[in-house]
Amino acid sequence: MSASIKKSISLLVILIQVCLLSACNITPLQQLSPAQLAQQGNFVKAKQNITHNYSKTGNERLLYHLEMASLLQLEKNFEQSNTHLSEAINLIESFYTQSISELAMVQFSGPTYTTYKGKAYYVPQIHIMKAINYNALAQKNPSNAQPFFDAALVEMRQLDVFLTGLKEKTGGYTTLQTNDSTASKINEVLTPIFAPKGLLENIDYKDDAYAHFLSGVLFEQTGELDSARLQYERAMQMYDNGFKQQYKLPDLVSHQVSAALARVMQKAGGYQNKLRELKNKLKGKYESSNDHTNVTIVQDIGIAPKRKQLNLLLKADAQAKALIMTPIVFGTTQERKAQIRWFQMLHADTSLFDMIQNYMLGDLGDVAMGTVTKRLPLGPLWDEAVKLGIVDALEFGARISVTYLEPIDTPVKKSEVWLAGKPYTQLIPYHSIGLLTLQDALAQSNSEIRAALTRELTKALSAKKVLKEVGVKQDNLLGSLAKFSTSLVNAITASADTRQWQTLPLETRVAQFALPAGEQKITIKTYLNSGHVIEQSETLNINSNMGLWHTRTFLDTKRDQSSHTLSTLNME
Amino acid sequence: MKNNRKLTKLIPFAVLSTLALSACESTKVQRIDANQEVALSDKWNGKDSQLVAEAMISDMLSFPWVNDHLKREGSRPAIIIQTVRNKSHQHIAVDTFLNDLKRAILRSGQADFVANKEVRNEIREERKDQELNASLESQNEMGQEYGADYALSGTINSFVDQQGGTRVTFYQVDLRLIDMTSNREVWNGQKKIQKLQERSGYGF
Repeated sequence: MSASIKKSISLLVILIQVCLLSACNITPLQQLSPAQLAQQGNFVKAKQNITHNYSKTGNERLLYHLEMASLLQLEKNFEQSNTHLSEAINLIESFYTQSISELAMVQFSGPTYTTYKGKAYYVPQIHIMKAINYNALAQKNPSNAQPFFDAALVEMRQLDVFLTGLKEKTGGYTTLQTNDSTASKINEVLTPIFAPKGLLENIDYKDDAYAHFLSGVLFEQTGELDSARLQYERAMQMYDNGFKQQYKLPDLVSHQVSAALARVMQKAGGYQNKLRELKNKLKGKYESSNDHTNVTIVQDIGIAPKRKQLNLLLKADAQAKALIMTPIVFGTTQERKAQIRWFQMLHADTSLFDMIQNYMLGDLGDVAMGTVTKRLPLGPLWDEAVKLGIVDALEFGARISVTYLEPIDTPVKKSEVWLAGKPYTQLIPYHSIGLLTLQDALAQSNSEIRAALTRELTKALSAKKVLKEVGVKQDNLLGSLAKFSTSLVNAITASADTRQWQTLPLETRVAQFALPAGEQKITIKTYLNSGHVIEQSETLNINSNMGLWHTRTFLDTKRDQSSHTLSTLNME
Repeated sequence: MKNNRKLTKLIPFAVLSTLALSACESTKVQRIDANQEVALSDKWNGKDSQLVAEAMISDMLSFPWVNDHLKREGSRPAIIIQTVRNKSHQHIAVDTFLNDLKRAILRSGQADFVANKEVRNEIREERKDQELNASLESQNEMGQEYGADYALSGTINSFVDQQGGTRVTFYQVDLRLIDMTSNREVWNGQKKIQKLQERSGYGF
């Protein structure tokens, strides 16, 4: 077969692959997620979106229950929400045993063809959500509140069992983390081999200080002061030992959690020495009131960033005896920028070592291209790769897809609780699900790209082997077309796993303060960087047992621009 | 011969496909005895509820308070169940457990039960209705209720210890019986259940 025909087919394959890649990116842009639809108040469409995209029994059954539970909570259908959350927890439990047949199948298809098993940090979120739902049910049924409060505490005990296991695996935050903040590391970037080491330090999900704090609130509310003290104590230690730093939370969190710990110690009695220490730490800013009820307001804000797909083209460079990965960027300017930045941050040849290596292997053009390519020089292994058929299998290139996370947008300047027309206290960030999602994506990036590389090479080699078995000669036009078809099939199945719980909030803010019993009208004012203020008001019926209130605030920027305020008030 | 070799090479793919398809087993349902234990996990189940109720009531009725009451009052003691709080890490249908307790007591024939507050209120409403609508002969009088002599209450607690796929769950049920006249605790019972669950990391 002439070289020109081969070249034409090669170009055609690349063209079609590029078209396929772009098609993969169009869908998410044009589809609104259930969370986005919910923030527009369109719950019917949001539910349709879930039933359309996820099956109750399919690979995404976990997401079906999680998304449905979130929407039902927003609709204040707490019983149904908890039914779905219970299903989700049962599914996560059942995923402990990994199916060998499914693991084997991944190698020949892609991660999207397997059962979605969720993330470790979903478990605390599920228990917290269930507890908040039970708490809301208790508030709805004041004459029969006890069983609901008990059920909320059951969730907190299950959460404790999970976090204990997690801490055993990861080490938790028992000692002060010595490394400096992750976020600044992310900006430092650029010393990759697969992902720079420093970038990926101290970003693991090790324990959950916020979950322990909320657990403390619920135990305190039901008068189980010993359990409350233990949970507040754990939360305080974790915030101080690295959780606060890892998720870029303000110092004021430590102060508030310490004040909560001092309060339960005082209520329980018998902790005079520790109490004195805590009061010294709080520098006289601690006040306790016996005739007031402690109120905790939890505000979930925004929507966690989306996982998206970054496409890479893998080719073999015979001259440089290296494999080369190049990102193929698609989408809006913002998305394209994010894709390039993610690739540069985690994979590109941007270190001095890589630059020199590129210089030695290629020409000056490659050095300049270093920031947008990743070279995997095979050196003496090149001949082995040729023998194995890797080089030949990559004749038309292979598509590799990995996930990237859209940049975190934090449009909230501050959030305040107003009482009787006056600002009363601030809601402080206690947890950043946005950063948690980002750090999880960063932590997974190395293993993900390795797995994707191995998978695509396995698929390419298997396809080559099958072609050989069925007797298609590979040096004629038919052979090239057959190879071309298998390359396309591989490209289609190479999608990255962008599945995620989309309705999780971006961040969680908390305010704790004391109020006299009775009806109190409170307003939460969320100030955005754009100057817009979102107001949410509710009348709280405060009594000795009813101290925890939850709200979700959506930040619909499009509506802000058209001066429509959307206040999705969900105060249970 | 050549074909045979080709077939041999396709065997691993066939095995793999069979394994993958075996994961899609269809749903199968069968009727089984309600007393038969089907332990799919280490969670608290119907059998635990039944066993604990029977063991505790048997222990409760073996204490001297029953005979003391019979001697003193000449009638069977009347018990009211107050609250059994679930302080475990599992959602336990406390009502089911309470019903198992009641059945175990009634089956023994040594004590009576007084309906709880909610049921009593419902019955009172019914009696009010009878006053208006039922014939004089069939009406039930107000103020003839049987007062409880003893109150039963308690808690269900649990602890969990786990390492990898192995988990030990320990349930402890504590019940107490209080004499409603003197506030004396006439019985205090405890029943423990320990369960071991082992899960494999991999399976087909």
